[in-house]
Amino acid sequence: MTVSTERSVLPGFGLTVGYTTFFLSAVVLLPLSAMIIKASSISHGAFIKLLLDPEVVASYKISFGTSFLAAVINSIFGFAIAWTLTRYDFAGRKFLDALIDLPFALPTAVSGIALTAVFAPHGWLGLQLASIGIKVVYTWIGITVALTLIGMPFVVRAVQPALAEVQRDIEDAAETLGAGRFTIFRRIIFPTILPSLLTGFAMAFARGIGEYGSVVFISGNLPMQTEITPLLIVKRLEEYKYVDAAALGCIMLGMSFVLLLSINLLQAWSRRRLFVGRRS
Amino acid sequence: MSITLDQITKRYQNTPVVNDVSLDVGDGEFFVLLGASGSGKSTLLRAIAGLTGVDHGRISLHGRDVTHISPRKREVGLVFQNYALFKHMSVADNIEFALRVRRVKAAERRARRKELLRLVALEGMDDRLPTQLSGGQQQRVAVARALAHKPQVLLMDEPFGALDAKIREELRRTIREVQRELRISTILVTHDQEEAFALADRIGVMNLGRLLEVGRPEELYARPATRFVATFLGAANLLLGRQTADGIRVGTTPVTAPINSMWDQRTMQREHEVVAVLRPEEVALAPTRDELATLYLGTGVVESTMFTGAYERLRVRMTEAGTIASGDGEQANDKHHLATLDVTRSQHDQRLLPLTPGQSVAVGVRRIHVLPTPLSSYVVYGKTDAQVESLQTHPFLVELANRMKTRVTTQLEPQLGSRSRALPGQGPLAGVAVIHTSNHTAAELEWLLRHGASEVLLLPAGNVQPRRVLIHWTGETVRHATLAVAASMLRHVAAEATYLNIIPSQSETQKAEGMRELLDARSTAQTTHGLEMRTELRFGEVAGELSRQLQSSNEQMLILGITDMDDIQDRFAAIFKHPHCPVLLVFREQHRD
Repeated sequence: MTVSTERSVLPGFGLTVGYTTFFLSAVVLLPLSAMIIKASSISHGAFIKLLLDPEVVASYKISFGTSFLAAVINSIFGFAIAWTLTRYDFAGRKFLDALIDLPFALPTAVSGIALTAVFAPHGWLGLQLASIGIKVVYTWIGITVALTLIGMPFVVRAVQPALAEVQRDIEDAAETLGAGRFTIFRRIIFPTILPSLLTGFAMAFARGIGEYGSVVFISGNLPMQTEITPLLIVKRLEEYKYVDAAALGCIMLGMSFVLLLSINLLQAWSRRRLFVGRRS
Repeated sequence: MSITLDQITKRYQNTPVVNDVSLDVGDGEFFVLLGASGSGKSTLLRAIAGLTGVDHGRISLHGRDVTHISPRKREVGLVFQNYALFKHMSVADNIEFALRVRRVKAAERRARRKELLRLVALEGMDDRLPTQLSGGQQQRVAVARALAHKPQVLLMDEPFGALDAKIREELRRTIREVQRELRISTILVTHDQEEAFALADRIGVMNLGRLLEVGRPEELYARPATRFVATFLGAANLLLGRQTADGIRVGTTPVTAPINSMWDQRTMQREHEVVAVLRPEEVALAPTRDELATLYLGTGVVESTMFTGAYERLRVRMTEAGTIASGDGEQANDKHHLATLDVTRSQHDQRLLPLTPGQSVAVGVRRIHVLPTPLSSYVVYGKTDAQVESLQTHPFLVELANRMKTRVTTQLEPQLGSRSRALPGQGPLAGVAVIHTSNHTAAELEWLLRHGASEVLLLPAGNVQPRRVLIHWTGETVRHATLAVAASMLRHVAAEATYLNIIPSQSETQKAEGMRELLDARSTAQTTHGLEMRTELRFGEVAGELSRQLQSSNEQMLILGITDMDDIQDRFAAIFKHPHCPVLLVFREQHRD
């Protein structure tokens, strides 16, 4: 470890690292370790058995599948919203901008109840969708809808500053060189904001995997069909199977970590392409 | 002509930022648009590239009208101040971008890229990313990229703005060489006069959205026609002098200066005030008057000296009261109107006569240039102190005087507007007379004209922001003078100019005659006075039509040329009674012989 000797506004390196380690340990590392220790009391064979339990496997599929889908949807529409907010000036823009953050602040249970009310077979949207044969509540579609709502602000807030930084001059330059709108978007704007879009995607995805409150109401928690992993963990806890719950948590932790790490690496790679040489 | 602009106007929120600009740039010419920030030069460049639409006028490139053609299809190359490179693409991809868009084959693209990289001296940099290059190298890539598709014109917007001095000079040389080699018509926008001198075949100077003057660098420097160009291109001392029967005098000194104003032969014979440009390097200093080898201007005291390497810069305050009136606004508050001159001396002169602050010197002039501007200074007239004071601080007048870098003096005149006869032998009034509008405007106007004023500015109370200047004259005698005054005024006001020709009836012969007069007026304004203006033909009675036009908006100004003093009362009484817009009256008496 190299110690920076440059002066900075915050107190010395030792103190900063000390505080960082302490808080990280108390709030993140210790609880996680406790969970892993708890889970390790289970035997190898039992662990594998638990891992391959059909109900568990189904819950992983649902959790990761719907989270991924929601993150993809968010990447597309979140980008569109960010574009609208940065590029156009219209009445109510500030208002809309503030509205984006609402899902951050709302208790997730409230979002869940609201969504269920709207998408229930007799709700405003549910009624319309039912007439064309789409059932939202108690299906994976409902879970995706809930996770989309929860993850939206992450993408918008990640992409917005990057879009604001794309200079109009660059688009002007491309235009005088003969590029049409689509080419400018595909070859100039999109590659420039890709790292930020990936960040937003990763955050929305991570949030989706961990989400619990908004999903329980709309999913109906049917085993093998709409049971997400966090719910399964709660279920095990209610059955007093603490070790099983901890083991499930560990597996989830591991998979999430691997996924997020790979997205981060991808993002770092694309960012390096863009900003290499900055520090020389 | 490869770039032709015809009366380009671009407005933002009703204020013209580019105002009636017409320009021809020849094949292979390097044209530099020079102006301060906010002068409209960048907007004009963007308009040529098609990135900004225009509200009026036509743009053609190599004979093709591109006014309504999108930037994609204009075939121009554009270079930006901040390079605007595509950061995620390599140098090669950046340069080939325009060719890729045009689906040019890979081998051909490669060959063109190699050629361009050689041209901008960046061979072998193909695979670098823009962020791995220095600022100067990035701008070279941007130039190469802008030239890849063999555009018909190259446009550059402050391309050296973000670079430091050394690299700037290097890149400047490269760009000049590239331009010479490709013989591509180029317009470069800058605020740096040194850059303009170094690069330009011709320079166009812009201010307040107007293209003031166009010419070869040495021409513009030696013989500017406007105050702005005189002071913007290099340093200049502006002095007020008098045009007399036997030449021009600055202070008591007759200065033989070539008279290059052809716009008003009759005015040249009349004694009147003129603005003279004295370059700092054309001032000679000597211990005594007898030792001056040049024309003697007066004596002065050295105020400060500054060593700048090759030259020494001095400020010399003239000491003989009343000898030299400064035309520089900075000294407008000095009660004696004594000029302070900027002087530069070579090392050689410094060795011959070392000077320190406080020393007294004789000041001489090697060469002086008289501006052909009819608006020299302003004299505020009023019957009471209060009147004079309120008029002297009128926001419009203050702004005008600041922009013209001229002075505003005051004249208390209790007799103003009375029927008293002019005193015999009284000389003509110097500068533009300024009065407030009131119930007695017409009488005061007559009084001023009888006492020798030839230009009178009427100001209504309160601030005024003219966006449109109406021009009209009542006779041939005053036509040139009115146009000259209008041209001078419009260099300092961000307004659009419209010449109104008003004819009594709509008969075919009169209509044709009226149209001919319009075209005539426009071409005289353009060629003799450097003024671009619109023209409109109106029908009806002159005074009625003028006041109807003035009623339409408060943001107007009228420049009216008359030849008969009686017209003030007889024809235009309605206009002068309570104008809510400024009116500038130009008077040249019709000779009755």
